[in-house]
Amino acid sequence: MESLDEDARLMLRYRDGDADAFAALYARHKGPLYRYLLRQVRNAGAAADLFQDVWSRLIATRGRYVARAKFATYLFHIAHNCMVDFFRRDLRLHQTARIEDADAPASEPEVPEHQRPDRVAELLEQQSALLAALSRLPQEQREAFLLHEESGLTVEEIARVTQVGLETAKSRLRYAVRKLKQSMLAAEIEDSPPLRARQLKAVN
Amino acid sequence: MRPPDELDGYLRGDSALSRQYRRESSPEPPHELDRRVLRLVRGPAPNLPPLAFAASVLLSVALVLAIVFGPQSSKRADEAPHLVRASARADVSPLLYSSDPVRLTPRQWLADIAALRRAGRNGEADAEMRRFRAAYPDYPVGEPK
Repeated sequence: MESLDEDARLMLRYRDGDADAFAALYARHKGPLYRYLLRQVRNAGAAADLFQDVWSRLIATRGRYVARAKFATYLFHIAHNCMVDFFRRDLRLHQTARIEDADAPASEPEVPEHQRPDRVAELLEQQSALLAALSRLPQEQREAFLLHEESGLTVEEIARVTQVGLETAKSRLRYAVRKLKQSMLAAEIEDSPPLRARQLKAVN
Repeated sequence: MRPPDELDGYLRGDSALSRQYRRESSPEPPHELDRRVLRLVRGPAPNLPPLAFAASVLLSVALVLAIVFGPQSSKRADEAPHLVRASARADVSPLLYSSDPVRLTPRQWLADIAALRRAGRNGEADAEMRRFRAAYPDYPVGEPK
């Protein structure tokens, strides 16, 4: 019991019926979990549904909770599974829509407001260069980065949460870090014309 | 010699990338979402209509038992304050949650009749008033507001 983190202790108390322990756990993890979901699905409504789904599953399965690892690993494992389900549903929805539309006369495809290319471009402009670059990463790389930044998970824990091998998790995080650093550098160059001029001069 | 891995540097913490990410906006879940999740744990608010129905059934049973087996069993049924059988809804009168309806005083009975009138249930109020007059013929009748 001594080696358990504070969150795991709270979860054990909640498992045994202490609702206040849940409130404390919720207060600690709601922000990181919400941002992890929001920056993955990039839609506030979907993120809110997923957020509630994650906590509902945690509540429903609390009786089976055993403190084997860091609590964040447990919570984000549930979140990862919810998100995988979400992306599968989303994919099926799009496939069904494509099949149904195959015989229909060609028309403007109906996509949700937030997925329209002009809307996406607009959102990207409103974001910082880093968040825009994050949103352009492949989903697995973005997830690895968010798990580390939002909940402080190690590469081993990221591998466990996302159910992949250690090397795969490491590789995803490495690519994410490299691309994000490049985007930061590019943004710095854009923001400092003299530097850009010097670099262009050096190139020429 | 193996070149330093940028991932190792990043994982050691406090990299420029992490610092930049932490400087970004940190959206939190909306308050309504907080409430929805915390409600899952605390449980839903008590469902009042079934409770009111249960109270009504209990009061009716108590009244019947009191009439049949109680010391006032020789009294005419019309003399009992029927109001408590009429309804146990909180919007009529708090007295309806009384666990011993036959102990309503004339004043309480009149207050309940007034509550029925305020609720627009004039037919029931008139019927109760007739029963009240039969039970307390000498009581000065002035329905309290």
